[in-house]
Amino acid sequence: MTEKILELKNLTKNFGGVVALNDVNLHVNKQEILALIGPNGAGKTTVFNMITGVYQPTSGEIIFNNKSIVGKKRFEITKGGIARTFQNIRLWGDMTALENVLTATDVHSKSGLVGSLFGSIRSRKTEKEATVKAHEILEFIGIDEYGDRLAKNLPYGVQRRLEIARAMGTGAELLLLDEPAAGFNPAEKVELGNTIKKIRDAGYTVLLIEHDMSLIMGISDRVAVLDFGVKIADDLPSVVQNDSKVIEAYLGVPTDAS
Amino acid sequence: MSNLRDQGAEFWAKWDRPRRVTFVIASIAVAASLPFAGNFSITNILNTPISSYQDVLVYPVGMFVLMALGLNIVVGKSGMLDLGYVAFFAIGAYSMAILGTHTHLNMWEIFPIGIALAMFAGVLLGIPTLRLRGDYLAIVTMGFGEIVRITALNTQKIGGPNGIANIPSPPSLFGLKFNISHPNSFFWVVLVLILLTIWMIRRLSIRRPGRAWEAIRQDEDAAELMGVPTLKYKIWSFVLGAGVGGAAGVVYASKAIFISPDAFTFNISVLILSCVVFGGIGNIWGVVLGGVFLAYLPERIRFISNARQLVFGIVLVLVMNFRPDGILPRKKREKALLTKDDLGGKND
Repeated sequence: MTEKILELKNLTKNFGGVVALNDVNLHVNKQEILALIGPNGAGKTTVFNMITGVYQPTSGEIIFNNKSIVGKKRFEITKGGIARTFQNIRLWGDMTALENVLTATDVHSKSGLVGSLFGSIRSRKTEKEATVKAHEILEFIGIDEYGDRLAKNLPYGVQRRLEIARAMGTGAELLLLDEPAAGFNPAEKVELGNTIKKIRDAGYTVLLIEHDMSLIMGISDRVAVLDFGVKIADDLPSVVQNDSKVIEAYLGVPTDAS
Repeated sequence: MSNLRDQGAEFWAKWDRPRRVTFVIASIAVAASLPFAGNFSITNILNTPISSYQDVLVYPVGMFVLMALGLNIVVGKSGMLDLGYVAFFAIGAYSMAILGTHTHLNMWEIFPIGIALAMFAGVLLGIPTLRLRGDYLAIVTMGFGEIVRITALNTQKIGGPNGIANIPSPPSLFGLKFNISHPNSFFWVVLVLILLTIWMIRRLSIRRPGRAWEAIRQDEDAAELMGVPTLKYKIWSFVLGAGVGGAAGVVYASKAIFISPDAFTFNISVLILSCVVFGGIGNIWGVVLGGVFLAYLPERIRFISNARQLVFGIVLVLVMNFRPDGILPRKKREKALLTKDDLGGKND
């Protein structure tokens, strides 16, 4: 149960003179929900961008399933088993919800261009299997009824959920969710929290960026806190909640302390 | 009117298989008999003044439709702006001209070679440039189109500005003769190529490559991060487009007998792109209509001589003003590619 699926070793990222991440060590265990929190600009999304290959680390290692993934192409990392969602929704708006998931399932499709053209038996079969799988994922997330609607016409909450469904469609073991509850009302947040727990119980590992404390405290197995590119805490939610450094980072140092 | 294309799609969806087959065969028959339309009193308004109607049907009409379909794979499907499409047309035409005059190969044998060379040029151009996007890609492809033309213009071995003459006509096939006095045979060859291209695009569109292209067009970064090998699929779309352009070039050269760099100017690239945009980017039937219209209209109104470019321009501006997405826009479908019925047994 405590097997590490992802490990960041001494990860540093500089943008010119700005140190976005400084010597961060972090690991994610298999089948846990790890929440990554921190004030704005702490470097949370930078961590996601480096894991998914959007940025290359200035120094340090990223180990996924005992293999370094630094320098790999973005689609290869996804194929290898890490998929993400986006802070600002980036679905393919002119495709239906089902097609959005279907396109993600194509990562592992063996049907190529020639097979698609001549309608080879394998291509037809994979096409059907993929469609069945995509429907299953939509059903799991609870939005299968929207399958035939264009993504851009879906309600906001469904779009956010579809982002998760699409990431699951890639067959990834590790899901990186970037503020999945942004803009949700309290009831929707609770519902989303349940979905994320359900995703973990189905065997996925979840690394989560979120600002809503009640959601984080409710669902995470562990919480890591970043502040100005440095990891300042990494423990159980109840411990982190009372950590003086974390409180300082969020609320500032009391003036009389100096 | 606004969703003419969707209405058509609805009719199609309602029809059963025999009806669809009948409709397709009837449409092909009508298209194939177009060269004879000039002979009858009812349909002879189609006749073009000055140039021969049968010749106009091959070039520009048929060729423009074919090339517009090819360019649509690049511009419409995967959303890359290619302003140098004429280069592939030129490569196909010069393959035919050089091999036809210097070797004993006939047009049918050169045909696959011309396509392969055009596709190879597509790969060569694609690998370094397809990392660029939008305007930058447009500029590079425009440069490529000009490079090909200017190279032909300055290479004396392939005729330089004089071009290549005496390109052999194709030998007879299935009893059809191919030469200057038989333009109809060329038209039917082009028609077959158009149908093959349409078949290819439709096939690919509903499967993995179509989805990959669609994802790349809408959000390339998201596509890459969701596991679509974007560079590979962009090159594929570029190469398929190039192949279609090359095929058009080979047929064009063998029909025209004489080619020179003047036939492959930037103007042609823009015209083909106009066919795609005017008809409706991304929609096969719109593109076909755009190609027919933009190729045929200038020939049909040739009798007003100098004013014809003006009228042509005004028509373009008016149509694009009232139908900014083209005559038949891309379908805004709210339906999955494979419905649950298609899956069989998962009907609940």
